[in-house]
Amino acid sequence: MKSILKLVFVIFITIIVIFPVIWIISTSIKNPIDIFTIPPELVPPNMTFDHYSILFNELGFLEYIRNSIIVTVSTVIVSLSIGMLAAYSLARFKLPHNLNYQISFWVLSTRMFPPIVTIIPLFSMLRLFHLINSRTGLIIAYTAFNLPFAVWMMRGFFAEIPKELEDAAMVDGYSRMGAFWNIIIPIARPGIIATAIFILIMSWNEFLFALILAQTKVSATLPIGVASNVTQYQILWGRLSASGVIAMAPVLIFAFLVQKHLVRGMSMGAIKG
Amino acid sequence: MNLKALSRWTEKELKYLLLVPTILLLLILTVYPLIFAIIASLHTINIRTGERSFVGLKNFIQIMSDNLFWNALKNTAIYSGVGVTIEFTFGLGLALLLNTRLAGRNVFRALLLTPMMLPPIVVAVIFKIMYIPDFGVLNYLLGLIGIKGMIWEASVKTALFSLIILDIWEWTPFMFLILLAGLQAIPTDPYEAAIVDGANKFQIFKFITWPLLIPAVLIALLLRLMDTLRIFDQVFIMTGGGPANATETISLYIYRHAFRFSNIGYATAMSFIMLIITVIISNVFINRLKAEEVFTL
Repeated sequence: MKSILKLVFVIFITIIVIFPVIWIISTSIKNPIDIFTIPPELVPPNMTFDHYSILFNELGFLEYIRNSIIVTVSTVIVSLSIGMLAAYSLARFKLPHNLNYQISFWVLSTRMFPPIVTIIPLFSMLRLFHLINSRTGLIIAYTAFNLPFAVWMMRGFFAEIPKELEDAAMVDGYSRMGAFWNIIIPIARPGIIATAIFILIMSWNEFLFALILAQTKVSATLPIGVASNVTQYQILWGRLSASGVIAMAPVLIFAFLVQKHLVRGMSMGAIKG
Repeated sequence: MNLKALSRWTEKELKYLLLVPTILLLLILTVYPLIFAIIASLHTINIRTGERSFVGLKNFIQIMSDNLFWNALKNTAIYSGVGVTIEFTFGLGLALLLNTRLAGRNVFRALLLTPMMLPPIVVAVIFKIMYIPDFGVLNYLLGLIGIKGMIWEASVKTALFSLIILDIWEWTPFMFLILLAGLQAIPTDPYEAAIVDGANKFQIFKFITWPLLIPAVLIALLLRLMDTLRIFDQVFIMTGGGPANATETISLYIYRHAFRFSNIGYATAMSFIMLIITVIISNVFINRLKAEEVFTL
C-alpha cells in the first residue's frame, strides 16, 4: 500500500516535470488559431510544420545551428585537452608549498565568478583582437569559463586511478606522457566523457556571452536565434515555441543517450571532488 | 640545447608545464578582469566614443544612492533566497522519499534530468507560453481546481514570484539528484547500530543521516546560490527586468549599464561590488567544505 502511494506520488511529480516540455512541443505544431482555444488542446487538432519551415527557410536557423555546433564542439575539444593536462598534474604530482591544494581551490573558486563580471573586460579584450562577432571569440570565452569545472572534475577521476599503473608502464619504457596517453586516459574514459557532456551542454545552452559577443549571422548561436523571436511588440507564439524546440531537441536527445555517464559524472564530480 | 636535454628538462618540469595553459587562461578569466574592474570602476568610460576620465570613487558613491541598484540587489536576494530554500526543501524531501527501492527508478531519474538540461532561454520561453493570461494553459488548469487566474509575469505583484516558480521547476531535480547521490554514499552500518539501540526515525535523521549528508548539502547549496545570484537569461527573456523594475536583477542591471547605456565605468563598479558579495558567500561554503575534508588532495 505504502509503495503504491509512493509510486502515484512519483508519477505525479514526473508529470509536473514533463508537462511543460510536452506543451511547448505541442504549441510548436499548432496552427496559430489553435494556440488560443479554451480549453487548451494538448494534441493539436490540425498539425502543421509551418513554424519550423519559416524558421529554417526565412529566419536563418540553419546558420544558428551551424554556429552552435561549431562553437560547442570546439569548446569541448579545447577545454578537454587543456584541462586534462592540468587535472593530471594536480592529481599526480606533489608540488611544493602545498600548491596542489591551493591551485585546486583557486580553480574551483573561479567557477564562482559571475559571468557578467568577466564579460566587460573580456569584451574589451576580444575587441582589441577583432574577435567580437566571431565564433573564435566565443570559443575562447566558453573555454575559459568551462575550464575550472573541467579541471576540477577530471582531477577527481585521475586521482582515483592507482599510481602503480603508470609506474609499471614507465618501467616498460613509456615516457610519463606516453603512460598518461596510453594507460591513464583509456582508464579514465568514463570520467572524461562525463566531463565532455557537461561542457557540451553548458556551451550549447549559454546565452549571456553569446548575446554580447556574437550578434552576426556568422557567429550567433541558437539561443540568440530563440531570443530574436521574443520582441516587445508582438510575439508569434508558434514560431517562438518552434525555435525553442529546435534549441532544446538536440541537447535532450543527447542527454537521454548518455544518461548513465551524466548521473555518474554528477555524483562523482560534484561530491567526491 | 639539444633535443635530449630538452626532453629531460620537459620530463623534469612536466608538473608545471602541464599547468601552464590552464593557469594562463584562468588568469585571463579572473585576475585580468579584476584589475580591469578596479581601474575601470574609477573612471567614466563610454565604450562607443572611447572617452575616459578619472573620477575616483564617484561611481561607488553614486551606486550607494542609486535606488535601482538597491532594488536589483533586493530582487536578486529574494530570488536567490526563496528559490534555493524551496528547491532544497523539495529536493531533500524527494531524495529521502526515494532513497529506497522503487519500480522504474531509472526511468524516473532520466525524466527528472530533463529541466536542467534545457537551455535556460528555452525554459523561459516555455513558461512564457504557459503564463499567457487569457488562453494560457496554467490559468486554465488553475481554473479547474477553482483558483483564479493571474497575469503572472506581467504584474508588478507576481512577476518575481513567477520567475522563482520557473527556477524551482528547473532546478529542484538538481538538488534532488545531488542529495540522493549523497544519501546513497552513506554506509548502512550506522543505521543498523541505531536501530539496535532503539533510535526513532527523527533521531536517525538528526544524528546519522544529516551529519553524513552535510558535504552534499554544502555542494548543492553553493552551486545553486552562485547560479541564482548571477541569474540573467530567464529574466531577460521573460520580463526584461520589468514590469516597473520588479524583476530587475544585478546581472541585468549591470548588463544594461554596460551594453545599452555604454556606461562602462559605472557598470564595472557595480560588478566589482557583485564580485565581492559572491566571493564572501562562496568562501563561507568552501571553507566549510575544506573543514569537512571531503576533498582528498
